[in-house]
Amino acid sequence: MKILRPMLVPVIALTMALGTLGVAQAASKTVKIGNIIPLSGPSASVGIQGKNAREMAVQEINDAGGIKALGGAKLEMLYADSKSDPTAGVSAAEQMINSDKVALLTGCWNSAVTYPTTQVAERYGIPFVVPVSVRDTITERGFKNVFRIAAKDSWWTRDQFAFLKDMEKEFGTKIKTVAFVYENGDWGTGFAAGWKKLAKAAGYKVVLDEPYPSTASDLTPVVLKIKRAKPDVLFLTSNASDAILLTNTLANMKVHLKAIIGSGGGHADPTFLKAVGKNADGIFDIVEWETDLNKPGVKEANAKFNKLYGYNLAGEAVDAYASTYLIKEALEKAASTDPQKIRQALANIKLCSGPGAIFSYECIDFDKDGQNKNAALVVVQIHNDNGTMKRFSVWPKAARHAGYTPTFPMANK
Amino acid sequence: MKALADSKANKYFLAAVLLIAVLIPQVITSPSIMQILILTLFYAYLTSSWNLVGGFAGVLPLGHSAFIGIGAYTSTILYLHYGLSPWFGMLAGGVLAAVIGVIIGIPTLKLRGAYFALATMAFGEGLRVLVENVDTIGPLKVNGPRGLLINLTGNSFIDYQFTSKASYYYIILALLLIILLITWLLMRSKIGYYLSAGGEDPEAAAALGINVPRYKVMAMAISCFFTALAGTFYAQMFLYFYPKSILGLDMSFEIAFIALIGGRGTILGPVLGALLLRPLNEFTRIYLGGILPGMHLVIFGLILILVMIFQPRGIQEPLTRLYRRILYRIKGS
Amino acid sequence: MSGTALLYTDWLDEMEIIFESLLNGLLMGSIYGLTAVGLTLIFGVLKVINFAHGSILMVGMYAAYWCITLTGMNPYLAIPIVVPLMFYFGYFMQQFVIEPVFKVEKDVREPITVIIVTTGVWYILDNLALMIFGAKYRVVHTSVTGKLFELPGDIYLLQPKVYGFILTFISGLLLFWFLKTTLMGKAIRATSLDRDAASLMGVNQYKIYRTAFGIGTAVTGLAGCVLVPFYSVYPSVGIIFDIRAFIIVVLGGLGSIPGAILGGIIVGIIESVGAMYMPSTWTELVIYGLFLLLLFIKPTGLFGSKHDF
Repeated sequence: MKILRPMLVPVIALTMALGTLGVAQAASKTVKIGNIIPLSGPSASVGIQGKNAREMAVQEINDAGGIKALGGAKLEMLYADSKSDPTAGVSAAEQMINSDKVALLTGCWNSAVTYPTTQVAERYGIPFVVPVSVRDTITERGFKNVFRIAAKDSWWTRDQFAFLKDMEKEFGTKIKTVAFVYENGDWGTGFAAGWKKLAKAAGYKVVLDEPYPSTASDLTPVVLKIKRAKPDVLFLTSNASDAILLTNTLANMKVHLKAIIGSGGGHADPTFLKAVGKNADGIFDIVEWETDLNKPGVKEANAKFNKLYGYNLAGEAVDAYASTYLIKEALEKAASTDPQKIRQALANIKLCSGPGAIFSYECIDFDKDGQNKNAALVVVQIHNDNGTMKRFSVWPKAARHAGYTPTFPMANK
Repeated sequence: MKALADSKANKYFLAAVLLIAVLIPQVITSPSIMQILILTLFYAYLTSSWNLVGGFAGVLPLGHSAFIGIGAYTSTILYLHYGLSPWFGMLAGGVLAAVIGVIIGIPTLKLRGAYFALATMAFGEGLRVLVENVDTIGPLKVNGPRGLLINLTGNSFIDYQFTSKASYYYIILALLLIILLITWLLMRSKIGYYLSAGGEDPEAAAALGINVPRYKVMAMAISCFFTALAGTFYAQMFLYFYPKSILGLDMSFEIAFIALIGGRGTILGPVLGALLLRPLNEFTRIYLGGILPGMHLVIFGLILILVMIFQPRGIQEPLTRLYRRILYRIKGS
Repeated sequence: MSGTALLYTDWLDEMEIIFESLLNGLLMGSIYGLTAVGLTLIFGVLKVINFAHGSILMVGMYAAYWCITLTGMNPYLAIPIVVPLMFYFGYFMQQFVIEPVFKVEKDVREPITVIIVTTGVWYILDNLALMIFGAKYRVVHTSVTGKLFELPGDIYLLQPKVYGFILTFISGLLLFWFLKTTLMGKAIRATSLDRDAASLMGVNQYKIYRTAFGIGTAVTGLAGCVLVPFYSVYPSVGIIFDIRAFIIVVLGGLGSIPGAILGGIIVGIIESVGAMYMPSTWTELVIYGLFLLLLFIKPTGLFGSKHDF
């Protein structure tokens, strides 16, 4: 033991040196892009999906000759782990802007991290592309450098209710009562606030309004409350582990509802379907993107992604993938790595084609606040298709999976 | 004679360190390095405040983030709702934290080590859950899990907002010097003497007629007051906070790590611990976090274990020894 | 249907739901208790709060997960494989990681440095799991997954929870018997009461620590086996049970095995029945409040006393 003691200081010094070594090894002709996403901690699953999607896009872009307007410069992605912690996000942004001299930033998935981190970028005038972070106010602060690809949360809740009204009409089923069950975080409470207003306007009676702790280990009590309240329709915002628990427990407790409507997140997590199997039959989920989307390039991109990482693309990953192509396009247009020129290019951009354009709508096009005004949402239904659980697009009707008729109300097994 | 010479050398050394600390913002222009330095001082300050209970009173508080949160929420709510300057709100938060600290401290400080640690942890977590469940208290907006946002006003002293990092640096440096001075004075006072006696051997101290719990509660009040000031600093620096970021267990644990790695119950321990762990944490997260998710925390855990195995009294012990040796070398030549 | 009849069926429905939630709280609570038994045992002997406890549970869950997935065996047949493995895992962790610190601080009754070492272990295990297995949520479909016991009155009990309840009591009784009657058990109890005296009587205290830590880890591995058939496995799963386990062991009295099981049941019932009368986020608050209140009134917990085990 005594012999080992003198080694302590060198070991610590070595680890610190290894840490700083990363700075030195930057190659010459590259454009650096800083990505701040949750890679460890509770949101690691979704953060790693975003990282994989970015890597796939960067690989393709660099293999195809990089940024031509910059003499074939390659994209270099720097990743920082936010751990879902705003402080870490802010520090990482400072670090990447000042020390790594990134041309632009992307991230951060958790709205609570994106919110203060975009503020840092705004202060330095560095463009910040937000693939996904749903909180409304992110693009409502008059910032010049923030560009969001995903829809904001008021659009998600609006479309969930529009979908329900359309279904009522299409199938002649009257919906009277609704229940809201949501994780007690930034995301869930934001959605719930929107739902309450919309339910009132639509004339539905709210029979249950139940936040649950995101660290819950047993959701049976919540399910029993749903069973007691007997709502026609259940709205959910859940992360992966609670979406799995809720779905299985609802099925086990034989709670029969006319419809269950998820809000992406856990219900769209690639592991969700594998984990719940048949219990998910009939659940509706609102997402930005679905694998059955009928658009050139979608199948190929998904097949490639699945081959590389072993699971399908989902809304979050598609936004991250598209954002990388969007950045490439902006760099080509700007023909410079000057942040202000890139910002200008992003503000004027219309990304409608190319390998990155696998999103469900036509073009990415930002309004003056930096919100992608075309961002559209799709409602899917999970359906047992000859023994395998698949997601079928059902709403809007124009996007409905060819030949698929939604089951509404849900079949009661 | 030797002690005298030592104390003279110490004075020179301290003066030099202080001079460097004051001059740093004039030399370093990189805001990201400034940010890391500010956070390092912030944690050195927090841990020094914690040290008054955790170091000298011989217990392990694991819920100090509660008091950071009380400070941040008090000053911010007063500012947002009544327009009260955060400088005054900071003091209000400090007083509130001290009062709550006393209320919590009176029953818990009588408890044995593990019970105290878990009780403070439960208090911290309970407060987080409470705040997450409260949207408004009467007319005051707490905003539950969504947290509070302070509007950007630009450079404004009265609003406790500055555009330059240097201003935040000097504020937290000043706070750190104040808490170090208070620690030093306290250690030399009767209270400090009683506390360290009670920390080492509560039964013997009680037998001598020292009311140890009373002094522990006093230390708790002072500690909570200063911890809350850091909450206001955090709020004004990031202009946004929410329950999980400021009331979570992570911060409570990190403070305890810094104290133990640095050397708890010493004046310099928290500062040295923060100087080692904070930059390490930042650099490994930024440069390793992206390559191998989780690797930086494995390294962090390894360092915790190694230091505890080889230097259970913290790194201040070998560093002080090294400093003495250098001093002798200089004097010898 | 007349008005009174409607009221009567409503009341009946309500009673059924409350009864169902009470039963579920009892089952889930006993499993919480099982997750806490190892923690309380280790504390009783070593006087150390093991912050790596949740991570050990996570390791146990992964071990059970791989056992079941790779062989397709009945989930409860994994127990004889996972439990001994976890025993040695804990035994060697104590020997090589925690013991060195313990030896330095052997005069201190409750060494705080050891707490920090266990926290280091927590960070390392959770993040190694993240690096090796990735962040994805894994669920295993076993022969008991989703199976129900149906009681009259539309009351459904999940089979894996019922088996968990039974296993909790069997393992609790076995442990109790082991500590009361066997030589090793008696040595463990003697060490937990007074380590120096036991040492003087010829008990090798470090061997006792290793064994106790091994047993604590093994019981936690058993809890992992019980959870896997109805719970998803992912690297940070331990944290969810961790804090709850800390609360449970203090409620029951640190070091007391029956206390841990009873504490778990209390927490489970509050979570389950309490949620019928308030938003479930408030039940957490009730648990923390009750916990602090108990500490103020009876700091030793429900079952804890200096000489209890």
